[in-house]
Amino acid sequence: MALLSNEDREYLKGLFTEMKRNVNILLFTTEEKEFSGFCDDIKVILSELESISDKIKIKEYSFEKNRDEVEKFKVKRGPTLVLMAEKDLGVKYYGIPAGYEFSSLVEDIVDIGNDTIAIDENILERVKLINKPVNIQVFVTHTCPYCPSAVRTAHKFAMANKNITADMIDANTFYDYVNKYGVQGVPRVVINENNHFEGALPEEEYLKQILNALK
Amino acid sequence: MLQLKMKKQEEKISKIIYDLVIIGGGPAGLTAGIYAGRARLKTVIIEEIITGGQSATTELLENYPGFKDGVGGMDLAMIMTEQVKRFGTEIIYGKVISTKLTGEIKDIYFASSMIKAKAVIIASGAIPRKIKAEGADKFHGRGISYCATCDGALFRDKKIVIVGAGNSAIEEGIFLQRFTKDITFVQDLPYLTAEKILQERIKNYPDTKFYLGTIIKSINGEERVESVTARTVKENKEFEIPADGVFVYIGYIPKTDFLDKGLKLDGQGYIVTDENLKTNLDGVFAAGDVRVKDLRQVITAASDGAIAAHSVEKYLENK
Repeated sequence: MALLSNEDREYLKGLFTEMKRNVNILLFTTEEKEFSGFCDDIKVILSELESISDKIKIKEYSFEKNRDEVEKFKVKRGPTLVLMAEKDLGVKYYGIPAGYEFSSLVEDIVDIGNDTIAIDENILERVKLINKPVNIQVFVTHTCPYCPSAVRTAHKFAMANKNITADMIDANTFYDYVNKYGVQGVPRVVINENNHFEGALPEEEYLKQILNALK
Repeated sequence: MLQLKMKKQEEKISKIIYDLVIIGGGPAGLTAGIYAGRARLKTVIIEEIITGGQSATTELLENYPGFKDGVGGMDLAMIMTEQVKRFGTEIIYGKVISTKLTGEIKDIYFASSMIKAKAVIIASGAIPRKIKAEGADKFHGRGISYCATCDGALFRDKKIVIVGAGNSAIEEGIFLQRFTKDITFVQDLPYLTAEKILQERIKNYPDTKFYLGTIIKSINGEERVESVTARTVKENKEFEIPADGVFVYIGYIPKTDFLDKGLKLDGQGYIVTDENLKTNLDGVFAAGDVRVKDLRQVITAASDGAIAAHSVEKYLENK
């Protein structure tokens, strides 16, 4: 089943055509039964993307079997996507990047492929100065139009600074996380487990929240 | 079914002067874009988040003609967006922070750039009215939601209170039934205000409870929402309703705070227009939910968009 219209494929082809380096997408599948359908969905999405650009390289691992890679990329569970260039950038998707989150995935691919970060330079400089470990978890639903902006900002920060890792967490897939973190509105952004805020903030405010959390 | 939605970026803030800038990419703005594009006006639509506006977060539109089984709000928005582009109208994404609409040439300001145009259609729509009750600020985004399509999935098998009983409230109440059966409506008026067909449908869910003629006094809880305190309007009787989430549909407020002070608004902030949708400022028109009107629907927004674009065409011809 083709998920994308011909027109969308053409649009993506144009978008990906200038990319100067490969974008490696690692899919960690899981054998847990309740998630196997989700893994299949992700495979469909990835095969669409792979067929559009030869710069997009997909590798599949098993969360249960490929423990070395799981350790190396600090994957907490499956299904998960790791987006990277040659090096790990700390950019992850836990669950399915579908619905509105497909936009986040496409924009991340373009940023990585072009080796650019679509972010205001002043903010970029300040993000680069962060010298403590930061993990950002962004809870989303597929039907939330405000969520991709929160995901993208987190991922851009991660691309900018190796001390920062950023995870999209799909609430539809990982409902147990929703309960664990008491998520009651999306996007919810959790910084280093203990700090959080709700809503899609502009990059400037987003950065302030992170800096406050580090105090 | 798995759906992939894509926001197509066209970040090319231009040095040229547009014939027409449309502020807002909901049904009004998109329809205006279709008509303006066909009139060969150099047109750009500015959208803040995602095209479709409020209708994009509507699960199913059943009363928009041409779709006998209804059409998803987001799906319709995407069709309209593609349709707009066919006629050469651009769409850019950004937040308009202020405007200067009084001169011959209108200036539209973003945080770090601007656009100039000969005419403007304001189609910025309306945003949900916030609930006023004790605890409302504390639980904003933490149990109080204005978007069932966004947050509904987070309340699987939980207790939900819906404030309001108009079209949006009942529609979203039906949508939320897929996640939980424990739904209670609280409405200040002593009757339901939704369309009759929606009233019939919500009655198909026998577990749903209604407290009419009742207002929300407070939203209570330590870390999370645990209950709401309701009060009857007539008897002034207070009681508690257990709740994990509160979804609020008590009307809308127009998005006009970024506009010139010279623009004529009514007492509630809606833009006043004549029947050709002209505002009190020359070359400035308004369409959709943002203007004074009785019925705010996707179809009336689309109708406004067509009329406003036609008025712009005539205005530019006569200049």
